Amino acid sequence: MDERGLQKESRIERLLQKDWTPYLIFAVPLLFLALFLFWPLGITVLRAFSGPGFDVDLSNLGLDNFERFMTSGLYQRSLRNSFVVSASAVVFATLIGLPMGYCVARVKMPFKNLFLSIGILPVIMPSFIGAFSWVILLGRQGVIRLFLNRLFVPLGIVIPSIYGVAGIIFAMSLTYFPFVFLLSYGAFSAANPMLEEAAMMMGARRPRIMRSITLPLVIPSIGAGAILVFIRSMGNYGIPAILGGDQYVLPTLIYFRVSGFWDLNSAAAIALVSVIITGGALLLQKYVISRREYETVSSSRSEQHLHTHWLARLVAIVYCTLVLVVAMLPNITIIIMSFFEYWRGALPTGFTLENYARIPQLVSSEIFNSLFLATTASLITAALGCMVAYITERRRPKGAILLDMAVMAPFILPGIVVAVAFLAAFAGDAVIPLGGTYLILLISFVVRRTPYVFRSVVASLTQLDVTLEESSMISGANWLYTFRRVTFPLILSGIIAGTILTFATLLQELSTTILLYSARTRTVPVRIFAMVQDGYFGQGAALSVMLLATVFVVVYVMNRMLGRSISSSFKLG
Amino acid sequence: MSLSMRYDGVEKVFDPQGRNPVRALNGVSFTIEPGELFCLLGPSGCGKTTLLRCTAGLESITGGRIFYGDRDVTTIPPFRRNIGMVFQSFALYPHMNVFENVAYGLRVRKVPEDTIERKVSAIMDLVGLPDVLKRNPSPTALSGGQKQRVAVARALVYDPEILLLDEPLANLDAKLRRRMRAEIRRIQKVTKITTIFVTHDQEEAMAIGDRLAVLRDGNVEQLGTSSEVYSAPENAFVANFIGKMNFFHGRAVESATADEQVRIGIAGGLVLEPQERAIKTKHGLRAGEPVLVGVRPEHLMLRSEGSNGGFAGTVNVIQNLGQFIRYEVHVDPRLAPDALEIDMHQALDGCTEGDHVSVHIDQAQALVFSPETGWDISQDEVG
Repeated sequence: MDERGLQKESRIERLLQKDWTPYLIFAVPLLFLALFLFWPLGITVLRAFSGPGFDVDLSNLGLDNFERFMTSGLYQRSLRNSFVVSASAVVFATLIGLPMGYCVARVKMPFKNLFLSIGILPVIMPSFIGAFSWVILLGRQGVIRLFLNRLFVPLGIVIPSIYGVAGIIFAMSLTYFPFVFLLSYGAFSAANPMLEEAAMMMGARRPRIMRSITLPLVIPSIGAGAILVFIRSMGNYGIPAILGGDQYVLPTLIYFRVSGFWDLNSAAAIALVSVIITGGALLLQKYVISRREYETVSSSRSEQHLHTHWLARLVAIVYCTLVLVVAMLPNITIIIMSFFEYWRGALPTGFTLENYARIPQLVSSEIFNSLFLATTASLITAALGCMVAYITERRRPKGAILLDMAVMAPFILPGIVVAVAFLAAFAGDAVIPLGGTYLILLISFVVRRTPYVFRSVVASLTQLDVTLEESSMISGANWLYTFRRVTFPLILSGIIAGTILTFATLLQELSTTILLYSARTRTVPVRIFAMVQDGYFGQGAALSVMLLATVFVVVYVMNRMLGRSISSSFKLG
Repeated sequence: MSLSMRYDGVEKVFDPQGRNPVRALNGVSFTIEPGELFCLLGPSGCGKTTLLRCTAGLESITGGRIFYGDRDVTTIPPFRRNIGMVFQSFALYPHMNVFENVAYGLRVRKVPEDTIERKVSAIMDLVGLPDVLKRNPSPTALSGGQKQRVAVARALVYDPEILLLDEPLANLDAKLRRRMRAEIRRIQKVTKITTIFVTHDQEEAMAIGDRLAVLRDGNVEQLGTSSEVYSAPENAFVANFIGKMNFFHGRAVESATADEQVRIGIAGGLVLEPQERAIKTKHGLRAGEPVLVGVRPEHLMLRSEGSNGGFAGTVNVIQNLGQFIRYEVHVDPRLAPDALEIDMHQALDGCTEGDHVSVHIDQAQALVFSPETGWDISQDEVG
């Protein structure tokens, strides 16, 4: 045999000896991402440049849809509102969260764990339910508003009702400040105290240390919290939908274009604009932060010096308690409301258990839908996120970063944008017609939540010593056997944490569902939203309480069992 | 029954298409005899761990062939090679108890349950942990030395053809390290499995290995038994890496081939006459050629200042190390590039730091090397 023949033979031999199972398994998530992430996003971009309406006309690509941002007052106001709301939410969330993070981390005080548990609020409390309870408290007939106005009107000050841009900012800041609080708490308590001690030795006083050492070191974490607030505020649909009144923001404008006019192409254009703004903010944050990221030699042994002065402790406790009470107010309000028919003015009226009693007959199909969709989607998400995490973390193929970015993309895509993309690609007589089915909800849920499991599993994998897997290979186990017996058992807690979080958040999913549901596939959050809009506050509150209770129990049990913080799943790249 | 191992021009380039390709192995070729305990030794970054990982199949090689016996295993994935490996971190599975850890390779091979139990308990006896097996705890509850033994047991239990040890003692404290290296040698001699042991510690390599290979920058610098490498290092790098070597600047007085005796002049007018086997340059010497003269610390002597036949120095540091006393002596930098290290069995009477002394060379033990280009000897010392 000549040399070429020999080479060819050995190449075939090599191919046969290679372990191909991982490649076959890894093809599945890639195919899924291509079909249900890249394809819808591509169609969305295409539609954004087609004329208004539903048809995609390739011969007539142009900027018509974007021109409305120049010509239409509604578009301009929405864009401006979105900007103002998101930027203000970042500012106020930081103003509330940062001092609280510092207090809990650096002041000697009781109930620290109680304050820290606020961090879980954005997970267990759907923002639209928060908005709903603020309507009860600060709406036209709101109890707190009436009370405050009785105090202030003699002074010539009238507290306006919550409806409008200011109200949206108010609700969003209170919804999202825990992100800043948790991340800055983490940074304040993890910062190396020896750096501050060194500054003190060199003669610096407290304010100077704060300014020149402490704050600069936690800026990356504050930035991470701030961008999280910005992304969430930019994409939030529930709060402006309930509190907006005649003021629109981009997500509500998208909903208006789709549900009012079935004008998917301009909705796609609005979605594109909002994603570009979010992406720009993210880049800006990365740019600002990357220059301030320091490798600090962490010394877990030495402890933080806590402020022990009685005044510092008093201020910290009063402040934190105040924030806690305000943050918990919506939950309490909803629980009270759920036992009454009306709450106009000072006290709720018409005590009743009817609200709960009627739930089974009113919303049994919605409850089934929510449970079914959240469970199924969580399981698929678990498998998918797990596989992609393994590929990017262990195999590191060329373009792993691209895969990483692709999976994380839905993290910055507002839910309603994902909904538009899915409608754009699969509604009507599309190649894969999914409009109005369970499947379109299911898949959109999976796409949106894969980052949660992905992040969680990546965190587990980076902590897992690679030699454990190598050692298994050496012992004679192939890839599948190694994964089954070594890798999987050791990252299981990460998978479960990500999956439970996915399940909990999917139970309350509104912003994607609101555009994709049909009469058959309506979920609990959609129904609550409708009840609130139709003025059935008592029933809406009862259903909300049931939802909150379910989510709370799920998250609480997970925390107890796994004993790990869920905040890692929220972090960006 | 034991297998030989052969490397044939093994090359490994990391990131070959990238901007900064790294050549980790440059055509490494040598053979390990069946049943041999072979050490790969070198400073960090010399390619020893890369060579071991290539041997295991955990890294693919970019050139050359690797043979287990007559079998070319170059492209065979690790799980089809029937080898055992002990990792620096031990890599014990925290979610399995000790028995399951050791039994892992047998379960992979679908060995019947009663055989598994028999083999596991036999191997645990061999590594000296029958009591641990009875308690059968999680490996996280074990001490460092016990983990080490379990890791060895796990690698040996399925009778691998080759055993690979990647700095297995690096995570143990000094005392345990000494005991375990004797243990590993004992176990290897019982099982007679061809074994490769990677370490950066020359003392460990010399103590444990039947033969050892010294690597630098992806090349094998020297290969031989411990005493060969120690007493007849082939170049200045190996000389200083295996134990301490003091170097003197010198020039050949006359031309000579590698086997002839030659006189070497060093600064200060001294002329040395090393033995004929001591010339380690490649092509003999030309008259006037610069050389490095290497002398081990135990082959230098201190006398009181002004003694005949020596040269002047100043004692900088005196360390009493028990079995000998180590003097660090500064001499004229034209004579030697670095301070000299001199080991004496008895202290020089009345000598303290800062005293002037006379240094003498045991000429019969001096070695002659070519000067290393672009390499500063003092930088490659292993701490």
